[in-house]
Amino acid sequence: MTTKTLSIQRYLPEQVSAPYWQDFDVPFDDSTSILDALNYVKEELDSSLTYRWSCRMAICGSCGVMVNKTPKLGCNSFLREYEGPVKIAPLAHFPVEKDLIVDMEPFLDHLVAVQPYLIDDSGLTNDDKESTETYKQTPAQMEKYKQFAGCINCGLCYSACPQFGLNPEFLGPAALTLAHRYNLDSRDQGKKQRMPQMNREEGVWSCTFVGFCSAVCPKNVDPAAAVNQGKVESAKDMLISIFKG
Amino acid sequence: MAKQTSYFPELKRNWWLKHPYFVKYMAREATVLPLVFFLVCLLVGLFSLLQGAESWQGWLTFMQNPLVIALNALAFIASLFHAWTFFQLFPRVMPLRVGGRLLPANLMVLGQWLGVVVVMVLAAWIFMRSL
Repeated sequence: MTTKTLSIQRYLPEQVSAPYWQDFDVPFDDSTSILDALNYVKEELDSSLTYRWSCRMAICGSCGVMVNKTPKLGCNSFLREYEGPVKIAPLAHFPVEKDLIVDMEPFLDHLVAVQPYLIDDSGLTNDDKESTETYKQTPAQMEKYKQFAGCINCGLCYSACPQFGLNPEFLGPAALTLAHRYNLDSRDQGKKQRMPQMNREEGVWSCTFVGFCSAVCPKNVDPAAAVNQGKVESAKDMLISIFKG
Repeated sequence: MAKQTSYFPELKRNWWLKHPYFVKYMAREATVLPLVFFLVCLLVGLFSLLQGAESWQGWLTFMQNPLVIALNALAFIASLFHAWTFFQLFPRVMPLRVGGRLLPANLMVLGQWLGVVVVMVLAAWIFMRSL
């Protein structure tokens, strides 16, 4: 079995104050993912290496790392795809806690801000609040937001977004995508509550359509499209509010 | 209580040189620079037309300078490059529905290029007629 050199950015704040690079030689074949390689390092070479992972199948969204400066899910990218040494660093634009572990709190705060859940205070769906009847939605209504509903909150798009890197107050790709996703949902009545967040300068208008968020998204959600569709919505919202006075 | 131990690398001004994707993005954004030059040329041309025949002739000579021609050629290529990137982004920002069905993205891109051809033909027709 051939080996590949993994260059991993280490950060052990209780021992060394600055991050440093450490090389590991890892055996690999066509099926070895970045996550497998990290597991090998931890089990066989250095048990102090710290990183997050869980499902191994690109659905939990916890194993995001920078692989050669591009945000990737460790389970979803493979050593065979890389020529030469592979550089692995923690997700960019987030505070690093230890080794490959970042503090996702800034992202989660932005997510909460846009209320990414069905808001229905109209009582339109069920006249009788005690009713156990479920929401009704046609396939055509679902098709409008389905693409944007695939987000697994892995945060790769935030690491890809230079605008979030320059200004951590920017709500960012995933949060704005989810806001748009719920605004498009026929069961939802919460658009009025989400628009003030999207209209802010740190809302949709901080996006300059770099588009890297959509390039790195492991679920092909296309957050850049959602954010820029959000700009159209925000502009409409502003015009309507001007005419309403 | 544990002391603050997180490490937060700041994004430097040259962040866009660190990844080929960002360099391409900046190239798209930079297309505005030669375009600004072209617009300034155009405005100066209009102004010199108002100033009289002599300044108009001066402007014509200026426009024939090889460097000016090169910069304006660059502006033309840059605006075509920008259009190429913009036309691809458009269907993602404004997906159009016809009869409840999503219009295919490449059809929308093709439509925009057809628009460019129509405008070019129209401009050429006006230009040729005045000769």
